[in-house]
Amino acid sequence: MKGILFTEFLEMVDQKFSPELTERIIDQVDVPSGCAYTTIGTYDHTELVQLVVQLSKETDTPVTDLVRAYGFYLFERFVRTYPRFFSGIKDAFTFLEGVESIVHAEVRKLYTDSKPPMITATRQGDDKLEVIYESQRCLGDAAHGLILGCVDYFGEKMSVERQDIDDSGSSVRFLLTRAS
Amino acid sequence: MDTDVLKKRLAREKIARRQAESLLETKSRDLYLASEQVSKSAQLIKAQSQQLQAVLDHAMASIFLVDEKDQIVRANRVAELTFEVSKEEMLGTDFFELFSPETREAARGYDAVSELHQELNTSDKSIESVGQRKGGATFPMELAITQLDMDGSTFTVWILKDVSARKEAEERRAKLEQELSQTQKLESLGTLASGIAHEINTPVQYVSDNGHFLKDAFTDLMKVLEAQETLLQAAEAAGVLGDEIAAVKACKDDADIDFLKEEVPTSIAQGLDGVARISKIVTAIKEFSHPGTAEKSLVDLNKAIDTTLTVARNEWKYIAEVETKFADNLPMVPCLPGELNQVILNMVINAAHAIESLNKEDLGKITIETLQRGKMAEIRISDTGCGISDEHKKQIFDPFFTTKGVGKGTGQGLSIAYSSITQKHDGTISVESEVGVGTTFIIHLPVGEAEALKEAV
Repeated sequence: MKGILFTEFLEMVDQKFSPELTERIIDQVDVPSGCAYTTIGTYDHTELVQLVVQLSKETDTPVTDLVRAYGFYLFERFVRTYPRFFSGIKDAFTFLEGVESIVHAEVRKLYTDSKPPMITATRQGDDKLEVIYESQRCLGDAAHGLILGCVDYFGEKMSVERQDIDDSGSSVRFLLTRAS
Repeated sequence: MDTDVLKKRLAREKIARRQAESLLETKSRDLYLASEQVSKSAQLIKAQSQQLQAVLDHAMASIFLVDEKDQIVRANRVAELTFEVSKEEMLGTDFFELFSPETREAARGYDAVSELHQELNTSDKSIESVGQRKGGATFPMELAITQLDMDGSTFTVWILKDVSARKEAEERRAKLEQELSQTQKLESLGTLASGIAHEINTPVQYVSDNGHFLKDAFTDLMKVLEAQETLLQAAEAAGVLGDEIAAVKACKDDADIDFLKEEVPTSIAQGLDGVARISKIVTAIKEFSHPGTAEKSLVDLNKAIDTTLTVARNEWKYIAEVETKFADNLPMVPCLPGELNQVILNMVINAAHAIESLNKEDLGKITIETLQRGKMAEIRISDTGCGISDEHKKQIFDPFFTTKGVGKGTGQGLSIAYSSITQKHDGTISVESEVGVGTTFIIHLPVGEAEALKEAV
């Protein structure tokens, strides 16, 4: 998993909670990297899982909620860091339809060893979009948060229904419906 | 943020920076190696591409790479030359526009054939079709097709070969073979004709002799009949031999003597005239078919032309009237008699065909004139036929050039005449013609040698 996902997670803990809490959870996890992350490095995704679990314990907040919140935060950070991906795009459906072919295609160009999740977006009509997340990293909650962040960024009113295709969270279906 | 937190973060940041620097070095090296590899690959591909293009450009056929939408993706130099279209104009256009309109749809169907080749892993079977150059001219071509799958797309390689030259050579060879066969037949016929003419001459001679005998005998018989008539009139006036007179008169009436008196001489005269014509034709055939000699002999051009006209009469008698204007004082000309006869025959037949092509009900006119111009004998063969266009005038003496319909001309007649007159007789042959008015062929033969030849003989 790319280092930016780790640095952004620690940044979120700094902002949403406190730098002291960030240091505390770092002290309490035992990971090969020692949590010394650089955005362009590649690290085992289980390190992120350990950090989230530790944060959950420290804040007494469910892991699911934390990961979803992280996804929501991450989307906003992506908008600031990579504005070119959003240039000329007016709505969430259009952006989500281009995630695989545009965003992930660019990620693969920069990091040939990267393994981004598979995002399949299919229109179910003018006001419905089906988005399927598939990844061995089982971060369906992060995908959920990212989708919510996307909807919030474009300021659209829509419902997001979630359906876990399996129990592990490696395959999740989201149905986005625009409010009429 | 307290000092401890900052110290921890500083320590982590230092580690992260070193990681990033190390990563940057690794990536830079990877990038350099990749760039070097790409550069080498690019050079290799460029060299291979140049080699491939050179092979394609020097192939003896037009080679096209065509995509699934039938658009030309690649074409070689021969393709540009064959179809008279530049690569820039061709690329991206419909490949099948290079076929003649009549064969275009069939060519589109050849995809199925190419699929068959793909299955059989062979493309050596060729198909015949017709191509069309930019200017609209069509030409025969052979084509072979192979399909290729590249990067998930299917392409078709078309190899088209312009076989115009080969077809022309085949046609020329077939004509030559036909001509040779015809020449052999004519040679046999010539030999036979000479013998047959000799055989016919004997019975013709005694038919002619007997005809003349009958003519004389009938004249004598008529004198007897006239004497008999005088006798009958005298006996009748004397009133004697009444029964005998009646019997003779009955015989006269039965025989219709008056009719015989009038018609028999005419009948004999016509018979003698017919026999005389047979004799003339037979003599002409005998002279015409006289075996050719390798050496020249002195020839009476007027007689040679007359003989040829007699032999060829069937070729012109329903098409044209023939008028001859022979110079009385024309000297004998040293010639190869067989070849000269053949030249005159070819000219007369051409003149008849030129008149016939007008499809007029009235007879045309062929005029043959001989005269002497200085040291040259001149033969002028004129017709009132269709005439020859300026464009065709340049080609009429070329071998196999003909404007006649299939089965009517082989394009050899004037070519043979030209080579015979110019090369074997040191003469000249030229043409004056006006489309719709007529044509005159003018042959000049040197008579200067005649005296020397005469002395040698």
